[in-house]
Amino acid sequence: MTTVIDGREMQPPEPMERTLEALDALAEGDDLLLLLYCQPHPLFNILKQNGYAWSDELRADGTREIRIHKL
Amino acid sequence: MHPSLSFDQAPPISVPYRFFLVAPWFGVMAGILLAWSGGDALVSRWTPEALALTHLIAVGFMLQAMCGAVFQFIPVAVGGNVWRPRLVANIGQPLLLLAALLLVAGLLFSRPGLLSAAAPLFLLTVGGFVAVVALALWQTPATGMTLWAMRMAIAGLAVTVVLGALLAEALALGLSIPIVELADIHLAWGLAGWALMLLAGVSYYVVPMFQLTRPYPLWFTRWFGPLLLLLLLAWSSRLLLEDPRWSLAIALSLLALVSAYAGMTLWLQYTRRRKVHDATSVGFRIANLSILAFVISGAGFLLYPELAADPRAAVWLGVLAFAGVFVSAITGMMYKIVPFLNWLHLQRLGAPLSAVPNMNKMIPGEAMTGQLRLHVLAVALLLAAVWLPGLTRLAGAALAVSFAWMGWNLAGAVRRYQSFKDQIRAAGLHH
Repeated sequence: MTTVIDGREMQPPEPMERTLEALDALAEGDDLLLLLYCQPHPLFNILKQNGYAWSDELRADGTREIRIHKL
Repeated sequence: MHPSLSFDQAPPISVPYRFFLVAPWFGVMAGILLAWSGGDALVSRWTPEALALTHLIAVGFMLQAMCGAVFQFIPVAVGGNVWRPRLVANIGQPLLLLAALLLVAGLLFSRPGLLSAAAPLFLLTVGGFVAVVALALWQTPATGMTLWAMRMAIAGLAVTVVLGALLAEALALGLSIPIVELADIHLAWGLAGWALMLLAGVSYYVVPMFQLTRPYPLWFTRWFGPLLLLLLLAWSSRLLLEDPRWSLAIALSLLALVSAYAGMTLWLQYTRRRKVHDATSVGFRIANLSILAFVISGAGFLLYPELAADPRAAVWLGVLAFAGVFVSAITGMMYKIVPFLNWLHLQRLGAPLSAVPNMNKMIPGEAMTGQLRLHVLAVALLLAAVWLPGLTRLAGAALAVSFAWMGWNLAGAVRRYQSFKDQIRAAGLHH
């Protein structure tokens, strides 16, 4: 199952808050799709240190698709 | 915050705050100096008062605020790590403060000894800052145009300071170098190569993020920085090439490029789907409208040289660039960075998300927009005072009060951080 968080029209820190809440509920095998207009390095650091993997793709409209799953 | 998550070691909050808390008081000094000198201070860009004022804003307010912001911005936006940030800031920030005071006093009182002392101090402190920041910017695995703009900006800062130190020594020792041409090149690198390049790089990241606009188009971010750098190199060639048509073409191209950044940012703000009218958006709007005013007046002065024959024309442009563009943009940025850092560091204490106060609680919204309104009034008075010297003292007083209000707002945010931190810690002890 994929949970989607569209953070493109949210003011920080809301996308980060929602992502961290969603990570708590993320089951094995599920993934979380975060849509943003920037690369969230503080979030990447948190993911790195807590056993999550992610991929980051840039769409033509400037949206970054960040797919997160538990390692 | 979920207690099972651990956090990276971003720079301690004291690193950026050490710079942010000092910066506005240089602006207060600039206002007091103007109110105290009155009448003739703004008749030309070369009066001791005008030179001192420019540097109170440039190396006092702007450089302090921008260095603090860069320390914080590198880990957040480009995932880099500055080497020993606390150590670098603890040593570098007071030395930068001292260098700025020596330079300003040297320019104001025409004291060669002070200028001679300021130059190596700037080379040392800014050189150290450039070295640690460049190392962090070249070691990060991140990609993107914000990173490239920051790399070019830090090179722009290095060029500005080397030229500035050379000019200070030339004034102190009476060296025979082309002072006016070098000062123009120093100014262009400082304003465009360092300050605007950094502002653009930061804008690519924070304007969509905090002002909820669409992102800057990729073609724009790919071309803006490199073209700006290229035009600045061409502008610097005026030292060797004495062709007025070449200089005119480069100056007009620079103005056109600069207006493209302002036009694009205003367009993104205008076409965003969700309107946010906070202090940051307002600060950026004032800055970009000032860029457009600068470009229109600058082009007018270039195309009608009889208008530029009046030495006050350059002062008019200086007021628009320093007070109109950079003070407004930096103020708007600090009013977002400081509440955000308060939030970020409070939630790192490990309290649940619900216990961390909202970002809006860090500085009252009315205090920020009220201060920005007073700032706009101060800029308007300064612009009027260029042509009506009778208004100079009033403009200086407005500038001093506006910067003092900014200093008060930022200090208030730090006080609130401390008290929220105490509350969260006390609540943690009870459970």
